[in-house]
Amino acid sequence: MILEFIASLTVIALTGMVPRAIPVIAASNGELVDQSAGVLNLGVEGMMLIGTVVGFFTDFYTGNLILAFLLAGLAGMCLSLLHAVAAVSLKADQVVSGTAIWFIGWGLSGVIYRALFGKILVPPTINSIPHLSLPILSSIPIIGPIIFGQDPVAYFIILTVVAVHYFLFHTQPGLNLRTVGEDPRTAEEMGVNPKRYRIYAIMFGGLMAGIGGAYLTIAITGTFYYDLTGGMGFIAVALISFGKWKPFRTFFGCLVFGAVFVVFLTIQNYYPSIPYQFFQMWPYLAILVILSGVSAKSGGPAALGKPYEKRD
Amino acid sequence: MSTPLVSMRNITKTFPGVLADDNVDLDLFPEEIHVIMGENGAGKTTLMNVLYGFYRADSGKISVEGKEVEIKSPVDAQSLGIGMVFQHFSVIEVFTVLENVAIGRRDSGLRLNLAKLEFEIEEAQREYGINVSLNRKVEELSTAEKQKAEILKVLFKGAKVLILDEPTSMLTPQETEALFKNLRSLKKQGRAVVLITHKLYEILELADRVTVLRKGRVVLNTVRENISPEILAEAAMGHSMTVQQYERKTIAEEGALTIKNLSVRGDRGEDAVSSVSFDVRRGEILGVAGIAGNGQRELVEALVGLRRIQTGNITLNGVDMTHKSVRDRIRLALRYVPEDRKRRGVALDLPLTYNAVLRDHWQAPFEHAHRLRFSSIREFAKRIIAEFKVVCSSETSSANELSGGNLQKFIVGRELLRDAEYIITENPTAGLDFGSAEYVRRILFEHRNAEKGILLVSGDLDELISMSDRIIVLYRGHVNGTVERKNFDKVSIGALMLGQGFDEAKTAV
Repeated sequence: MILEFIASLTVIALTGMVPRAIPVIAASNGELVDQSAGVLNLGVEGMMLIGTVVGFFTDFYTGNLILAFLLAGLAGMCLSLLHAVAAVSLKADQVVSGTAIWFIGWGLSGVIYRALFGKILVPPTINSIPHLSLPILSSIPIIGPIIFGQDPVAYFIILTVVAVHYFLFHTQPGLNLRTVGEDPRTAEEMGVNPKRYRIYAIMFGGLMAGIGGAYLTIAITGTFYYDLTGGMGFIAVALISFGKWKPFRTFFGCLVFGAVFVVFLTIQNYYPSIPYQFFQMWPYLAILVILSGVSAKSGGPAALGKPYEKRD
Repeated sequence: MSTPLVSMRNITKTFPGVLADDNVDLDLFPEEIHVIMGENGAGKTTLMNVLYGFYRADSGKISVEGKEVEIKSPVDAQSLGIGMVFQHFSVIEVFTVLENVAIGRRDSGLRLNLAKLEFEIEEAQREYGINVSLNRKVEELSTAEKQKAEILKVLFKGAKVLILDEPTSMLTPQETEALFKNLRSLKKQGRAVVLITHKLYEILELADRVTVLRKGRVVLNTVRENISPEILAEAAMGHSMTVQQYERKTIAEEGALTIKNLSVRGDRGEDAVSSVSFDVRRGEILGVAGIAGNGQRELVEALVGLRRIQTGNITLNGVDMTHKSVRDRIRLALRYVPEDRKRRGVALDLPLTYNAVLRDHWQAPFEHAHRLRFSSIREFAKRIIAEFKVVCSSETSSANELSGGNLQKFIVGRELLRDAEYIITENPTAGLDFGSAEYVRRILFEHRNAEKGILLVSGDLDELISMSDRIIVLYRGHVNGTVERKNFDKVSIGALMLGQGFDEAKTAV
């Protein structure tokens, strides 16, 4: 009995983890580039939230999914520019600035939704993305349906993980960017402009967070409600140190989060008498436990979170 | 004489309230090693930073190979063939040497082709006569190897003028010798080598030409044949140097800080100090030599109570203090002059008054009925300032207003003025100019003669040899030899520092 239960949970975890993980994968992948350039943007949550509302209303009004993701990404990027101005140009404390971004995104997403849809009890629903089972690949037993039975956007986001890995570790600009994250002064001395790299990295982080947020409304819930991300943006930040600033390791961490998330979502349905918040807490607790297993000195970029000031 | 590779004319650079360089002229010739010397704040490093494009001069001209140029950034300087090796290397620790050379390259396309670059650098290494293993991470390299990597990086960018800021301050004598050999061969290849240094013997050994700066002005510019230690010191300080001959009183018979079989772990849990035993007697200076990172820092931290002791014990005049708190050790009259004076020696933003009592604000007369007594605190701060000739506007100025030398005098004063018995000190003169360094050494020596025990950890072998009564050499956390004063010899101590005669199996019992 128990074995069957566990077996069915495992199946649920495996089949459900990828979609649930996608928003976090997108956001953490963007933030990873951010952090590799030495910028800590704690505003991921806020940029995801702005992505949820922009993605939602674009899809609602136009029905154009590509446009919805694009605008959501741009909205996240716009919000991230505030961080760029504060943290790079004005050399403000990055924790403070990132926290501000979180609150702005949080408040703004609610305001935009209310302005457009008013106060309604049943939220409107939107088109979801058609799934695209890749031929041949999806017929591979077990792995096939888990990985290759997703929608196109999910494939795209997984592809960006590969792209970021290639960029960071196999291209000249990637090496330059990591240098900026380790020691901006050395970077500048070697002819690399630290500010420019940091601003681009921040913008990429915003773009990915916005897309991740949009995925949450468009592909997962099909509707909008307030604070939809529920802390996933922070999980995305946390998983980067779990992943030791490596794209694939971070990706793996996101999948673990997705799996735990799905499992507790399922268990929650078996016990309606227990407040659902009790179950929702577990994925976050799991991340906390995993993170405490990773040493605090797991070696992030040396200049992470430090504003760069030129001499003179 | 050939035309200079670089010539700087009437360079003036001011910082708010400070005239760093005042109408300085400097010519750098090919095939010459040019030493720039002067006290701290004399304007040497500023001048080189102007040449390297980190600072813009307020006025003056720079020409390279006869053509007047404008150098706005290090990148401009590099493209003109000017390269600089800083005291704090600008290499990325977690990258390989190869990756470090590859940073910021523009001519190689988008993809990082390290294999091709490796081939090119291998070629170049043969030409320069410098050998570094390219595929090792910088953090795994010794200081000397890091420096070589840095020099390689600079040369590979096409440097014809190579500037080195105090390149030997962290090297053993053997490594210094190897560096000098490299520099001489780079010179023969037609490059101009510029060395910023304090060390007289280096100048005498290496320089073809010397420029001495004092308070931002050139006070001496001459060729090798015309210099002697006395001339240089007088030019740099403005007065002749009294060559310090310390008079040694005999060592006291009784009382010692005794360390037995001490083992301490490092930050990453590794064995940083392994079963080390020695004692510091009253009235002696025990020098601790070793290449940085061989357990000196952990040893000192264990002694002053900042790091947990795994095994072994420490007694002070017979009192066991192995597991005593920092405060108890202070009560036992143990004093500490740390290496990082700004972070560990003082609270930078606090006024000197508070800094004067950081160690013992809980003791009378600074405390009464759990309240601070400001009058006695101020009085004590004033006393330090007066007795140790600390230059500052008043005892209420904050610590970060003081120059390095004055800050160090202040800290030394604070530690020594109130009943010191044993003094633990790490690189007490690092970064100080001749005047302040000599003052600090003399003070320490006077305390030696007043029957205090001093543990002097220093990376400067000359300092250790002139000050110490005995020297122990640390190598990989072990004592790899104790040398008595009569046997002091740079080469043999240097060999011990590099691990000569070290037998892991023998010591790891």
